[in-house]
Amino acid sequence: MKGRFGIYGGQYVSEILMHALIELEEAFEKIYPSQEFQGEFQELLRNYAGRPTPLYYARNFSTLVGFKVYLKREDMVCGGSHKLNNALGQALLAKKMGKKRLITETAAGQHGLATVMAGNICELKTEIFMGVKDIQRQAANVKKMKLLGAKIKPVKIGAGVLKDAVSETLREWAACSRTTHYLMGSTVGPHPFPIIVATFQGVIGREIREQILEKEGRLPDAIVACGSGGSNALGAFKAFIEEENVRLYFVEGGGESLESENSAAAFQLGRPGVLHGSLMQVMQDPYGQIKPSKTRSAGLNYPGRGPEISYLCEIGRIKACYSFDNEVFDAVKVMARTEGLIPALETAHAIAYVLNHREEFSPGDIVVINYSGRGDKDMETILRYFYEA
Amino acid sequence: MKLEELFNAVRARGEGAHMAHVYYGDPCEDFSIKLIETLAENGADIIEFGIPFSDPIADGAIFQAACERALKAGVTPAKCIEGIKKLRDRGLKTPVILTTYFNIVYNMGLVNFLNKAKDAGVQGVLIPDLPIEEAQPLLELTRKLGLHLILQVAPTTSRERLSRILAEASGFIYLIGLEGVTGSKFRSKKTTATLIEKVKAETNIPVMVGFGISKREHAETLIAAGADGVVVGSAYARIYAVNITNPFERLSEIARLAREIKLGCIRGQKIKLNVSL
Repeated sequence: MKGRFGIYGGQYVSEILMHALIELEEAFEKIYPSQEFQGEFQELLRNYAGRPTPLYYARNFSTLVGFKVYLKREDMVCGGSHKLNNALGQALLAKKMGKKRLITETAAGQHGLATVMAGNICELKTEIFMGVKDIQRQAANVKKMKLLGAKIKPVKIGAGVLKDAVSETLREWAACSRTTHYLMGSTVGPHPFPIIVATFQGVIGREIREQILEKEGRLPDAIVACGSGGSNALGAFKAFIEEENVRLYFVEGGGESLESENSAAAFQLGRPGVLHGSLMQVMQDPYGQIKPSKTRSAGLNYPGRGPEISYLCEIGRIKACYSFDNEVFDAVKVMARTEGLIPALETAHAIAYVLNHREEFSPGDIVVINYSGRGDKDMETILRYFYEA
Repeated sequence: MKLEELFNAVRARGEGAHMAHVYYGDPCEDFSIKLIETLAENGADIIEFGIPFSDPIADGAIFQAACERALKAGVTPAKCIEGIKKLRDRGLKTPVILTTYFNIVYNMGLVNFLNKAKDAGVQGVLIPDLPIEEAQPLLELTRKLGLHLILQVAPTTSRERLSRILAEASGFIYLIGLEGVTGSKFRSKKTTATLIEKVKAETNIPVMVGFGISKREHAETLIAAGADGVVVGSAYARIYAVNITNPFERLSEIARLAREIKLGCIRGQKIKLNVSL
């Protein structure tokens, strides 16, 4: 069925928004493959975003863990994370659809930042919904977004985090969907968003494939990526889903512990349910009330896993893993000391998993970590953890 | 009372219908019971009985707060359904439409949810995040059980979709009068009137208009424009929310507004039928 991955996916939205989803699906099918769109888009990816990003052999880190580790350097995409791949694609699509304005939500601020960058290039006004708690902990990105001209809309309802910001953006969209595009930041939401975002992020995996074949003459044994909604992970995995010998690890935010109210590990703690327009794995109470997730990493703080990621996990194609907050901070330090790189807290979940589960990999293995973003935005949180605790 | 009988009776009296939307358990179950009874005694012809949900994406700030308070107070879907039973035991005859977001239904299991709703004395269900694309299983089950699945149309609904929705509609059509969420500011736009006309031209099923309706004049205008009735929700919650520690004190004000809305429904119907006021 259209927009379904097994039981997951669908279009659970108000009738008000259906016209916009249908319009978007038709536009994407028509515009995305066109030569005109591809020409402009590839040009932007190359000369604005800085693609292709390097696949870096992390020699010192490899020596430490005992097998070969490559880092797919999405932190080198302009703006500091993979988020721009999708934002540029959707903003360009929105412009060609004749939309005047972009709205979106952000947690870590990376997607908000990417959206206002893309919006400026495409001459679209940008409005960003952000939970009040996230505004506080991602102050650096908020300043950047404001400087770039985005209007920041603080979201106070609920716990003031990503889940609440997504709800609020959907409400806003219901009031303005004729002129405004909701630039969904992850592989979540109603069809066709999960497919569109995965398509635009798929560039990550296509590059990994080409680069690793060139460097090693073979495919990797494993790809490790962090995620909640799943955009960077699915982007990295997509080109390898049919390759049964490539193990795919999806690392969620374990939070403090897997005890309730202290985690964002929806594959461990959730079950199928409907949130924000899509049936997916989601953390909820026995009655179906959505539970707020919790992790120190704002970008992984979402109680749902996108429909395609949910499906791939259910059929056993990806392995669902998690890292705890303390492991994550330690991983930041290890990466900084071995490779001179400060990863985003989200990215550090993938790094922490590799560090703490070396037994899952053999000495001859080639492992690619999707290095989804840099840690500048988290400096305050990181320094507070190490020097004030 | 069956919905058909209700609409026939309302029409025979020369009135438009008034559906009052309440989120049960806000701020406590006792209050909701009194609130619903007050509304029914003061001009509400149908009760839209809401089971609170944690992420009500079609609802504005007032109903979000209502859901949040109700959930904090510990209301559950089972308690809501018990609440309907209690209301029926206390003598409530008004038709009840049970409204909630799809995840609540999905969690209870579709068949289980509908059976419990029917046992409690519900006439129809309305799921605001279940467009026609996703509604097939519930449509089949509600038909089998003799319940109505209330479908919605919006100002953004295309002609093609409208026909598809109307072909499946039962009970009444819930016409979302504006682009936005519940509790939005009233916008008496030509587009709403045009939409009402368009829907009425294609169906004999009653058309109830909701979203942003808070005053007598709103009800009057929409019914005069051809609607069979209006839905009012946030406007009632707004009244007791300002006095949330003792909402009972606000029941008389709520009763007053309910009567006003009903008056608008009557006047609107008269204008529509070209009867002198």
